[in-house]
Amino acid sequence: MDFEVTYTPEQEAFRAEVRGWLSENIPADLTQPVDPADLTLEQYHKLRELGRRLGAKGWLYPTYPQAYGGGDLAVDVVMILEEELDRYGLHLPPYYDSGGRLGGASIFVWGTEEQKQHFLPPIFRGEWRTWQLLSEPNAGSDLAGVQTRAVRDGDSYVINGQKIYIGSLYGCEMMWTIVVTDPEAPRHHNLGWLMIPYDLPGIEVRPMELLTAGGEGGASPGLKHTIFFDNVRVPAFNLVGGENNGWQVATTHLELEHGGGGIVRRNRIVDQFLEYCTTTKHNGATLSRNPDVRDDMVDVYVKSEINRLFGLRTYWLSHAHRPRSYEGPQGSYYRKITALEIAETMLRALGPYAMTNDPQWGPLQGLLEHYQRAAVVGLHPGGTTDIQKVVMSRRIGIGRAAKEQAGRLR
Amino acid sequence: MDLGLTEAQEILKTAAADFVRQEYDKDTLIALENTPTGVTPELFRQVAALGWLGILIPESYGGTDRSLTDTAVLFEELGRGPVLGPHFSSSVLGALIVLLGGTEDQKQELLPGVAQGTTVLGVAVTEPNYGWIPDTVQMPASRQPDQYVLSGTKLFVHDAQAATHLLCAARTAPPDNGSGSGISFFVVKANSPGVAIRTLPGWMSQVDEIRFDNVRVPAANVLGDTPGNGWDILEAASMGAIPVLCAYQVGSCQAVVDMAVAYSRTRHQFSQPIGRFQRVQDHIIGAVNHLDAARWTTYEALWKLDSGRDARSSVHLAKAVTSEAYLKVCAGGHEVHAGVGVMREYGLILHTQRSRTLYHCLGDARYHRRRLADALGW
Ligand SMILES: Cc1cc2nc3c(=O)[nH]c(=O)nc-3n(C[C@H](O)[C@H](O)[C@H](O)COP(=O)(O)OP(=O)(O)OC[C@H]3O[C@@H](n4cnc5c(N)ncnc54)[C@H](O)[C@@H]3O)c2cc1C
Repeated sequence: MDFEVTYTPEQEAFRAEVRGWLSENIPADLTQPVDPADLTLEQYHKLRELGRRLGAKGWLYPTYPQAYGGGDLAVDVVMILEEELDRYGLHLPPYYDSGGRLGGASIFVWGTEEQKQHFLPPIFRGEWRTWQLLSEPNAGSDLAGVQTRAVRDGDSYVINGQKIYIGSLYGCEMMWTIVVTDPEAPRHHNLGWLMIPYDLPGIEVRPMELLTAGGEGGASPGLKHTIFFDNVRVPAFNLVGGENNGWQVATTHLELEHGGGGIVRRNRIVDQFLEYCTTTKHNGATLSRNPDVRDDMVDVYVKSEINRLFGLRTYWLSHAHRPRSYEGPQGSYYRKITALEIAETMLRALGPYAMTNDPQWGPLQGLLEHYQRAAVVGLHPGGTTDIQKVVMSRRIGIGRAAKEQAGRLR
Repeated sequence: MDLGLTEAQEILKTAAADFVRQEYDKDTLIALENTPTGVTPELFRQVAALGWLGILIPESYGGTDRSLTDTAVLFEELGRGPVLGPHFSSSVLGALIVLLGGTEDQKQELLPGVAQGTTVLGVAVTEPNYGWIPDTVQMPASRQPDQYVLSGTKLFVHDAQAATHLLCAARTAPPDNGSGSGISFFVVKANSPGVAIRTLPGWMSQVDEIRFDNVRVPAANVLGDTPGNGWDILEAASMGAIPVLCAYQVGSCQAVVDMAVAYSRTRHQFSQPIGRFQRVQDHIIGAVNHLDAARWTTYEALWKLDSGRDARSSVHLAKAVTSEAYLKVCAGGHEVHAGVGVMREYGLILHTQRSRTLYHCLGDARYHRRRLADALGW
């Protein structure tokens, strides 16, 4: 076994190229707020500009074919890109584009050649930022129970309905959604998967007030919305995967949302918390020397190590094209549930300091205060902890001999 | 990055799995549980013939000199049984102590026999004042002109009844005299006059008390050339041995999870398989999460050791996670099986017993969590 990526001289040369390129293309004044809700429009534009430049090089969605705007890059090389961006506290993509990440994968697997040519290059080059519109007021965990209707009318679908917990700060170019295309058809055979331009008439986008927005993986959205569709006409061309096949299409992005791609980066908040404890004195003594805090630190460390290893394992499975089963949702479940436990442990270790982002008194510029909120909110996006366990059970084959297959990623 | 097994490891895994399946059916395992050695001479000879007792021993001493990860792959399969007997005590912990601490003569004398199964090592460290820190080793070894005399009690020693030779830790100097820890290992023949070994009763297996009553040991039987450095030897050997023990427990956890999943399909209540109840699913998923946490912390530690990286924090992490995992996995197994799980003939309680018996071996979870904090330099 080898738990580390070892790089060839060519790959190290690529790292040097990336490093040079990033130092020239990442604006010096690009700062990321501790609370993603504080992202300014100006910073957002800078991030989008960076995304377009990465996209032009095929580095924004680097594993996809160049023909669709990707970079045709191998996993190990992508790790280099991720590592180098991580030094700036950035991810790929550098702004919230969970819609593009998940929707792009679905179009890649299920779209016709014409659809791929039409939709993928703008997404993969960073020209479009995309939101995902799945949840509805009456359909959360039970996503297949959505009620938003799409009625075929000539070359268009006419959409009516409501979606909830959607998007991010500062809008998008394109949205994709699951809608009912045949109300008479049986469950899972009644849905369609649609790309919808953001600026069509009849769409209303209303901000929501949440504890914080985040926990979807990748860059944090900063804001969520309710979206209303009132007789919105969408070209029929935008239906991906064919009539009433929307659930099939969804299995791809659900697999990714359930953690099927894995993650390889460290948890920066944990690292910073641990460092804070070893460098901060309370009552004259370093926090890490207090036996209770020391136990808390070990607790946090052990859980974050298990998270790191689960993420690495799944990353390897998916990128080495090994058979995957329950590993994605397991990593997702464990990450969510331990994030909450870790936040609680931090609260125990630091007391009320963990709850303030006051410039004078809040530890780590308010990072820990935000984590207290984010750990609670992060339980839900991409499927609740219960739903991750439902999926795990089916994949493991608990109570059933026929094991459910993991969703296709390629 | 490659988290898969090598081809050679896959072959070893299959061979070990076949062996355990063929030779160690459930009834055999249950029958061996409460025997003093946990193994029959015939079964032990078979393992020796397969070369597995010398898996860590260099070829020059009659072994096959394979890596710790290879060894772990083997022990994971043994753990599935769970196969009892002195395989770990003798061929892993004992062999590593001799390899890392012994003189050339001692290695020549002991290791070929360990590989062949004719010499069986038992490691006697802990005492009534139980613990895995040097201060808890208090048994004196009194120096006489050309021999030492050992008197005292070793308690909770694994596999002493099976041993031909005990590697016994005793004090050649008090704790505070500055010469290392003052602990030395002695190679003591198990049948030496004055040695009395007794299997401890209760819910444990192959855990023994050893009484030393004026046992005379030739001075040449002090392990190594430097008396007093025994604790350093134990620490160094434990670094390699602990993750192998963890791998054994990973295999055990896997076996319990497999049992529970199988039962969740076949047992019906309220006209459906019990696995359809989400509470039952929770028990199994909790167990799977513990299992995988144990698996990946263990194999990462092994990889660090085999590739020459600093593995200390990873070894402590693996043991802390794995000892706890085996307990919790068994608890989940019992919740799923209910009544049938506590029937002796079903086989689950064999694991439950092992999960408790092995919990403290080479340090429990709490001990290793403390060591982890130290290793991280906090
Ligand atoms: C910050 C944030 C960001 C989000 N971003 C997006 C987004 O970008 N796009 C989008 O479409 N959605 C988004 N969501 C919505 C998210 O996917 C849903 O909140 C989630 O799927 C749960 O749905 P629900 O809130 O309706 O809860 P419900 O489904 O009503 O669940 C309520 C409770 O019932 C349990 N439950 C439900 N079904 C089962 C079952 N079968 N077995 C056991 N327990 C069950 C749940 O686990 C939960 O405990 C976001 C949510 C949040 C909080």
